[in-house]
Amino acid sequence: MGDSVASVAGRGRTTDVDFALIGHPESWRAAADVLAVLRGPERTPLPDDEIKDLLPWIPSRVVCHVEVGSIVGAKARGLYIDSFIPPDRLEAAYVHENIARVRGAAVCATRAGAKIVSLGGFSSILIEGNFEQLPDRHDTVFTTGNTLTVAFIVQGLHKMCALDGRNLQRSTLLVVGATGDVGSGCARCLAPIVKRLLLSARNVERLRRLAAELQTQGVQVEIASDLQRFSAEADVVICAASLASPSLLLGRIAPHALVCDAGYPKNLSPRTELFGAKVFFGGLGQITGGLKFAPDFHGILNRHPFPDVVHGCLLEGMALALEGRFEPFSQGRGSITQARVEEMETIAARHGIYLAPLYNADGPVEDELHCHAEGSRG
Amino acid sequence: MKPLMGVNCSPVECTSLSSSAPIWQDVLAQAMTGELLAVMNYTSLSEICDDPEEAADALEHAQIERGHAAAFAAEGRKIGVDVPNNVDARHWKRLREAFLRCIPERDLIGCLIVQEIMLESFAVASYARVGKVAPGSLGKTFARIAAEEEDHVDHAMSILRTERALDAPRFDDKLYRLHLDVMTNLAKMLAKECKDGHCEVCHANCVKPSLFDVSLSAAELRGASLQQYLKTLDMLGIPGEATLAWVTQLPV
Repeated sequence: MGDSVASVAGRGRTTDVDFALIGHPESWRAAADVLAVLRGPERTPLPDDEIKDLLPWIPSRVVCHVEVGSIVGAKARGLYIDSFIPPDRLEAAYVHENIARVRGAAVCATRAGAKIVSLGGFSSILIEGNFEQLPDRHDTVFTTGNTLTVAFIVQGLHKMCALDGRNLQRSTLLVVGATGDVGSGCARCLAPIVKRLLLSARNVERLRRLAAELQTQGVQVEIASDLQRFSAEADVVICAASLASPSLLLGRIAPHALVCDAGYPKNLSPRTELFGAKVFFGGLGQITGGLKFAPDFHGILNRHPFPDVVHGCLLEGMALALEGRFEPFSQGRGSITQARVEEMETIAARHGIYLAPLYNADGPVEDELHCHAEGSRG
Repeated sequence: MKPLMGVNCSPVECTSLSSSAPIWQDVLAQAMTGELLAVMNYTSLSEICDDPEEAADALEHAQIERGHAAAFAAEGRKIGVDVPNNVDARHWKRLREAFLRCIPERDLIGCLIVQEIMLESFAVASYARVGKVAPGSLGKTFARIAAEEEDHVDHAMSILRTERALDAPRFDDKLYRLHLDVMTNLAKMLAKECKDGHCEVCHANCVKPSLFDVSLSAAELRGASLQQYLKTLDMLGIPGEATLAWVTQLPV
């Protein structure tokens, strides 16, 4: 890649960007691949130990320029800003350090003149209840992107049920991490549909409040802070929080359950512990109007088995930029409703941003399910 | 080569630091060498300043850096070691040569970039880290000097920002060329292991593996220095995506 400032500046001034995406490496492998691109093909990749030593010291900064196209011809230009949260520092002990990193990334976005900023992955979890910790925003608005994430989780669940020949209306749904913004949004969207709704989270008071809200709509809701109490009863599960210990859930999961891994980073593997359960990654969308990175980070920043697949949280900012709606669509915690999800789905679809093909850590799942369904019929 | 033990040691500090004194001796030796190099650089800089006031400033800076070197020597005496220095040691000599290449062209801006943006980033960050873990007055001295060096950088930054505003592409091109020259050498000096042989400053074997014994590490000093460098470049307005690539391309 070009090294000099001139070669970078040649990609376009950073002052006329429509959107910025704030992310962080989801694994050490992902971090290594990004650094390898930056080092260039003529240099040997950095050894793993050097990457682990160097990465925590890198201040938040722009990594590349992004251009997204719409199927109706619009284009939006943006930046990918990495907060460089080390993959092994996502837990609570580093929360203040990580908020400072996201704040640093937000400063980069604001200085670059981004009109809208999407908070990707763990960034939105850190900030969703702490928007006041973001810098003075001037003309920049921030969205957690959680509404489009919820939309794609719900769409994915419907698709998986259809492929697997299940009736969601007869299902018992367990939402893990139910009091978070994404978890509560999923619960609100799916509560009117499923037969029985189980909500699990650590904070009992918040669980009670969410249950009370849903019960006023006539939904049968049960709550528990002990995940193991529910895990054997559900036949459909949404993990809206990345599980520190997946075995807590997986150890007792009902055979043949459908499990949507909607956490970040995704760490539910169908190869481990989940005997008979069908796992898919939720919350991902696909851009069909074109996606370009400069330098070319295709398949490195978006590491998915299908092209132009991006997390819903980041896609929300891009969809809003294509729409010319520079507004903080998703902010705070617990305000995602069915109506807002439908509005965001409509915006995304108008620009050719749809649910991504479903897959899990082993690869695509749709063909396998389709064959399985055909076999059952035959 | 044995540590050079001095005679003016306070009994209390000598006793409390006796086991780690050889480590601090090498840390002090690197710091003192860096300060003496800065004295030489600022003195050279004063000779190409057209403005007498700027020349006086440079000489004043040289004097301040000399004071820092003396302070490090004094800290050595307090813990019972003499602090050697070697401005001709392999890495330091190359850094001095890189600075001197700016002198014949009377390139004041180049000199400031090398000394204030590159060498001082390393000094500010590494002294601050040492200041956090070194005991007693040794730690206080490192922390105080880190803060003073940061003030130097602030002063230079306003000159450099003004210069960049006049012609950013030209400024950035110069900065990148100096980065390749200076930071490559500095990166080798900061590497976790000295792969090119003895650095010619440490009194015996390389001090880097022993830094863990005083709650430091070579990786931490390098990381903090590169972070400071990146932040300084950010303050100058250099695009972060460019400087990120520069830093990741340095030798490790």
